[in-house]
Amino acid sequence: MFVVNTETVPGFEVAEAKGIVQGNTVRAKHAGRDIAAGFKNLVGGELKGYTELLTESRREAMERMMAQARELGANAVVNVRFSTSAVTAGAAELYAYGTAVVLEKNGEETADSQVAPPELPVSSSDSE
Amino acid sequence: MGDLIVFLLRLFVLIPFGFICGRFSEKKHLRSLEERESAISGFLVTDLKTFPKISSTSKTPEMLIGEVTIATDYFKTFAGSLKNFFGGEMRGFESLKTRARREAILRILEQAKAKGFNAVCNLRQETADIGGSTLSKKSAITVSILASATAYSTADGNG
Repeated sequence: MFVVNTETVPGFEVAEAKGIVQGNTVRAKHAGRDIAAGFKNLVGGELKGYTELLTESRREAMERMMAQARELGANAVVNVRFSTSAVTAGAAELYAYGTAVVLEKNGEETADSQVAPPELPVSSSDSE
Repeated sequence: MGDLIVFLLRLFVLIPFGFICGRFSEKKHLRSLEERESAISGFLVTDLKTFPKISSTSKTPEMLIGEVTIATDYFKTFAGSLKNFFGGEMRGFESLKTRARREAILRILEQAKAKGFNAVCNLRQETADIGGSTLSKKSAITVSILASATAYSTADGNG
């Protein structure tokens, strides 16, 4: 599945827009991590526990979004946006939404309608 | 002694009360969402800046806004604080957020339908922290969503 945050993809054209797809998750770290983060706050620096929390949440939210897109029969999600919000102290929500579309290679309009883009670049889910 | 009474009051009155009322209002909201969503079918909803499938006879597109703030119940707040201690996914709050978003989008779609459009694009959603839940652990948990989108008409009348 192709997941991008641009509206169009060079070399492909949007054959069909299927509609909005979304995924969200609210996660928390255990109290030990919260306490460790409190100490870290004294000296400054990266709060690794919370970075990890965001990474897991984003993966989960994207997975859910892509699952919805697959259900609609799309082969890509374009114009993906992320938004975060705090629910309580120490718990964060991550929300991902985009438009599920069917992409087709440019200049092959008459080919089979079920063109799965071959060997697409891997989505950004592992690019930390 | 006073602390004990407050503790018992919370345990045996507020938490069951929140559980029952919270469940009732959540069920009611979900039912209403489902009814209203099925009344509005065939809408093409996208977050693209272009207008997919716009018809040449479409009247001037119009920006519409939907806002909603909903609160969680005492039981879910309590269960959430337990979950916060151990870490992991907080499903109660997830469903709260999802309900708020569905409501906000639905309010846009209902306005769009009333004005005779059958699609919306460029959907954006923002959250606001009205209850100040990040500032104090004791404040009530509320969820506010502001959604905006542009309504227009498609040629074939459905997505």
